[in-house]
Amino acid sequence: MQLSLRRLLHNRIELLLTFVVPIAFFSVFALIFGNGIGSGTTPKVKVVIVDEVQSPDSTAIVESLRNSAGLRLMNDDTQDEALSLHDASDMVRHGNVTIAIVLKPGQGEAIRSDLLADASDQVAGQVVSALVGRELVIAKTRQAARARRTMVRRPPTGEATATSNPLVRQQSVVPEESLDPSELVQIVDVIGEDKANPVVSMYAAGIAVMFLLFGATGGGGVLLEERENTTLDRLLSTELTMDQLLLGKWFYLTALGFVQVCVMFVWGQYVFGIDLRGHLDGFVMMTLVTSSAAAAFGLFLATLCKTRGQLNGLSVILILTMSALGGSMVPRYVMSERMRELGLWTFNAWALDGYDKVFWRDLPVDALLPQLAVLMIAAVGFLLVARALAIRWEFD
Amino acid sequence: MIYAESPALEIVNLRKHYRRIEALRGVDFELGRGECLAFLGPNGAGKTTLIRALAGRTRPTEGTIKVFGHPIDSIGARQALGLVPQDLALYGDLTTRENLMAFGKFHGVPRRELKKRIDWALQWTGLTDRARDLVGGFSGGMKRRVNLACGVLHQPKIILLDEPTVGVDPQSRERIFTMLDQLSDEGASILLTTHHLDEAEQRSDRIVILDQGRVIADGTIDELVLSTVGHSRLVRVRVDRPLTAPVTVPGDGGQRRTVHVGEAGRDLIETRIDDVTVNLGPFLKAVRHGGYVVSDMEVQVPSLHHVFLHLTGNELRD
Ligand SMILES: Nc1ncnc2c1ncn2[C@@H]1O[C@H](COP(=O)(O)OP(=O)(O)OP(=O)(O)O)[C@@H](O)[C@H]1O
Ligand SMILES: [Mg+2]
Repeated sequence: MQLSLRRLLHNRIELLLTFVVPIAFFSVFALIFGNGIGSGTTPKVKVVIVDEVQSPDSTAIVESLRNSAGLRLMNDDTQDEALSLHDASDMVRHGNVTIAIVLKPGQGEAIRSDLLADASDQVAGQVVSALVGRELVIAKTRQAARARRTMVRRPPTGEATATSNPLVRQQSVVPEESLDPSELVQIVDVIGEDKANPVVSMYAAGIAVMFLLFGATGGGGVLLEERENTTLDRLLSTELTMDQLLLGKWFYLTALGFVQVCVMFVWGQYVFGIDLRGHLDGFVMMTLVTSSAAAAFGLFLATLCKTRGQLNGLSVILILTMSALGGSMVPRYVMSERMRELGLWTFNAWALDGYDKVFWRDLPVDALLPQLAVLMIAAVGFLLVARALAIRWEFD
Repeated sequence: MIYAESPALEIVNLRKHYRRIEALRGVDFELGRGECLAFLGPNGAGKTTLIRALAGRTRPTEGTIKVFGHPIDSIGARQALGLVPQDLALYGDLTTRENLMAFGKFHGVPRRELKKRIDWALQWTGLTDRARDLVGGFSGGMKRRVNLACGVLHQPKIILLDEPTVGVDPQSRERIFTMLDQLSDEGASILLTTHHLDEAEQRSDRIVILDQGRVIADGTIDELVLSTVGHSRLVRVRVDRPLTAPVTVPGDGGQRRTVHVGEAGRDLIETRIDDVTVNLGPFLKAVRHGGYVVSDMEVQVPSLHHVFLHLTGNELRD
């Protein structure tokens, strides 16, 4: 017991890790769950509105939705007209917006709405549905009031009441027609509706990326082990150079990671019905690039550390933090805007966004370009830094 | 063949500083072609540091190393060197054969040759029947033999061995030296560090003694003996009773001067005698003259042991 404590005290970094790891974790999760979801400030749902009605009523609805606290309208005024149904559904598919609100003509003068949604985010669908439903009911009430006015020739005061306090009017009109918002608003899943097992592929990717990182740092640790038992010294006294050694390890870890993820997804296909065969090209690209970046990251961490103990501590902190922030544990769409932006600094977020595009959004491979590019740059960057750090091992 | 005459290794003014420690403080020596040189020195003398510098594993603070006349970082130099490190640098989770295979490949042994070389290495390390066992489960001495084999697979022209025989039993040690002799016969130059003085004395052509980062002696065993303790023999005589007073050995008026030997109260007389044929007679006569009977006598030939202690002043530990 005394001995263990003494050994710990001699190793400052390990000491630090022992106490920092739990705090770091706690903080990350507190941030995600405390600020990101659940608590009072629900994140604003990103929406676009397609107004197919183009009537004064529909414009009023758009305006009122624009001012709604729960929504963030992504189409600005200038291109308001240009947005077509097709564009909007594309935006949802790409994940640029969570939901597209389509205002359509209903029976008679009534306005109906379709919400083009992403089936993976059920919460947003419900929130927007409620908001839009309310607006539609208000609009309908207004129309009804107008209709009655034209028939009955109500005194003008009625109209004043209707516009200034629509809720009061609404109550008085309710019995006349069905004003159930759920009949006016319909959620249409533009993605995920035909998936056999919708979210499994996302979780598979989340776990795969996390394990790629763990595997790669473990593999990088071999380098430290070799250094500790002087095998590295001997290796470098042969014709082998540090460049070859690092590249060799990188290739090996990349290949191993690739196979690892493939095996996992094949299992996923047979057991959980992930549609791997249909997305093979995108999957192979994402997996190759992700595992190469993870391998480079593992080597980078290993060359950063002095001992295997340090590496273990550091990698646990970093990987779990990145996984939490980047969406391997909690899906990114439940996080707040800020958390999501923060998540873009992690490796997992980019990889998961890529897999998301492949398996969930069914996007063509050229849509993966940003993810592939970022991951590839990360791979090269980490590898170069690892090489630079390894200089101190070449000659001491 | 411009460099035909240059020695296998030429080290000039090699210095190495670690942060506070000066491990090497200006080492100069040469390793001739085909020579077997033993490096001696107390713990921490800088032997391992020197070997690592020679193998290009640590960059000297100052000084030059030439391998067959070429700088150490030239292309051919690395291939010419074979390093057998002091620590066991092996993969414990690979078999003997796999270890040999791996290091053979890294050393650039051609694939065709590799199998032959491995069989040869297994043969002389006596590990043929353990070729398929994991090295991790081997005894210390067996690991050391594998460690050695891994460093010489590519038949280097210069072999650097850092304490190759620590923890190896006499049979294996014999085997290792037979193998080194064989490599030496094939033209390899060998530099080994050791704490076994008898080993250094018997197996090497030349001896370099290092202490606190400096070469304090360099030469064949005879040269070293001559330049330090000389050819004088240590003579020990045990007598039948404790001396009452030191024995006086009278001089002959010429070269030999009168000396007093022994100590009152002890029955053991120790003295150095330059020339046994001339001086031993008068010494024994003087003892007898004092009334003592010689019960036992020993004449010690000066050995590396004496040289070493004379030079470094402290006992070696292995
Ligand atoms: N990597 C290093 N960093 C700092 N100091 C070192 C390093 N390697 C060796 N030294 C120091 O250099 C000195 C010489 O060490 P070296 O290992 O060369 O001795 P040695 O002659 O091989 O000893 P031994 O007989 O015990 O093997 C020692 O004081 C040691 O502490
Ligand atoms: Mg040593």
